[in-house]
Amino acid sequence: MAPSNTVVISRKDQDVTPAVIDACRRGDRDAFRVLYEAYKDKVYSIALYFFHGDTAMAADVTQQVFLKLMGSMAQFRGDSAFSTWLYRFVVNACVDTTRSRSARADMTDPALLDTLPAADSLEDALANEHIAGSVRAAVSSLAPKLRIAILLRYFEDLSYAEMADVLQCSMGTVASRLSRGHEILARRLARIRNVAEKAR
Amino acid sequence: MFQKHLSDTLAAYVDGQLPPAEAGAASAHVAECARCRATVDEYQSVAGMLRGLARVEAPASIWISIEQARPNATRHDVRRGRQIEARTLRAWALAAMVIMAIGAVALWQINRPGPYDVVRIDGGSSTGRVSIGEWIETDASSRTRIKIGVIGTVDIAPNTRMQLLAAQPNEHRLNLARGVISAQILAPPRLFFVETPSSTVVDLGCAYTMEVDEAGAGRLRVTSGWASLEWDQIESLVPAGASCPTRPGRGPGTPAFDDASARLQQALFDFDYSGGGRRAVDVVLAEARQRDTLTLWHLLSRVEPEQRSRIFDRIAALTPVPNGVTREQALALDPATLKLWREELAWTW
Repeated sequence: MAPSNTVVISRKDQDVTPAVIDACRRGDRDAFRVLYEAYKDKVYSIALYFFHGDTAMAADVTQQVFLKLMGSMAQFRGDSAFSTWLYRFVVNACVDTTRSRSARADMTDPALLDTLPAADSLEDALANEHIAGSVRAAVSSLAPKLRIAILLRYFEDLSYAEMADVLQCSMGTVASRLSRGHEILARRLARIRNVAEKAR
Repeated sequence: MFQKHLSDTLAAYVDGQLPPAEAGAASAHVAECARCRATVDEYQSVAGMLRGLARVEAPASIWISIEQARPNATRHDVRRGRQIEARTLRAWALAAMVIMAIGAVALWQINRPGPYDVVRIDGGSSTGRVSIGEWIETDASSRTRIKIGVIGTVDIAPNTRMQLLAAQPNEHRLNLARGVISAQILAPPRLFFVETPSSTVVDLGCAYTMEVDEAGAGRLRVTSGWASLEWDQIESLVPAGASCPTRPGRGPGTPAFDDASARLQQALFDFDYSGGGRRAVDVVLAEARQRDTLTLWHLLSRVEPEQRSRIFDRIAALTPVPNGVTREQALALDPATLKLWREELAWTW
């Protein structure tokens, strides 16, 4: 056991504490690095799945999000959870980028999607990769509003209330977008679901 | 029987996000309605697939581009700058007073003894400050950074135990009991020290990594500038690109460049800690390149007196002996001569 005058640094506490947020608001760059490290993979992954596996676009969006965040930290009042505030930046960056590069953003490139890693790729790698690839392609085919809703709910595990806050719409709209997204995904993934169910 | 199928509320029902009353009604309907039951199965299956999507690690290059793209001045600074431009001399005088006040605060900060700020660098939370006498201990998966006043930072690797000993304007001192630290210091020489179980690392204006194992043995690796390892009248000067071992009860060994031959490095270790003696010196002399005069210069004062001339001759063969350095003075280990020679040799290190 560490002596009483020892500050033990452990990764058990993974959350970004209010102290870190406060330090970021004061312009502390080291604190901002802590914040970045805590959220970079989330932001990058959402952008990557949103933009059909385009790593350059995902990196661009991630950079945009954190630069905007850096310039806006003083405005964070703590009225909502920090993560909710952050997701708003992510959604805005994804939507803005989609608008400005609409031709490119609406194009699904299967080769790009194939570069994304699959979950549990060590286990039944081929089958899992096939399923994961199909899921990624199906998500990519959704309209942007449905796509971001699906990602926030099933990839980031946000509640409907949090999603309503992030997307600045009602919970009813959230439910409606998710239902529509589900309906399309269920249709597009029907074949793969049958294969997966037979394999069980 | 009339049945109102679940449509927009179906996802909310599957996700467990309906209010209790609506969820109850939806459950009752699903129990009765084969079509909605099939859709619920479908949605659950799709949700399962979506949750299996893997998180992808963001490339390190993003942080670099953020750093590069970051404006040097905040909007507030820019706005303030514009206001100053438009103001009169009186405003300039006021600005000068503000600058003086900031300078006074900065001076106070420099002269203010600890504690040091501690910031997590592994994605975890900040841990505040560490005061004189306090230890910092990282677990197997944690890394942290402490700010050494205004002169630099020390990154602390996992499984490291370190204590703050002094935080004074003329002395910043840490105690590294075990583990690995990386220091980046921008300060005059001999202001920042790290005690280890077998020697003291003295910053001479540099960046370096120091590692210490459970037995107290260590290795200093300098990445820029210079540092020295000191213990009981033994001093090893280590420039960028070189490393130096240290052992409890024996102190620092002889420094060598990391790109020196493996035979040279092994022979040096044998000489320092395994009684390698003349045989080890033979190997070092045979393997030495021009920049390995770093090693040879240190050996000159560490070998037996009868071997010094061999070392002198080898250095002279690799680099011309400068004016002011004579063989006699060098073999007599005259401090001024050795210092002059080192300074000239250092051009090749």
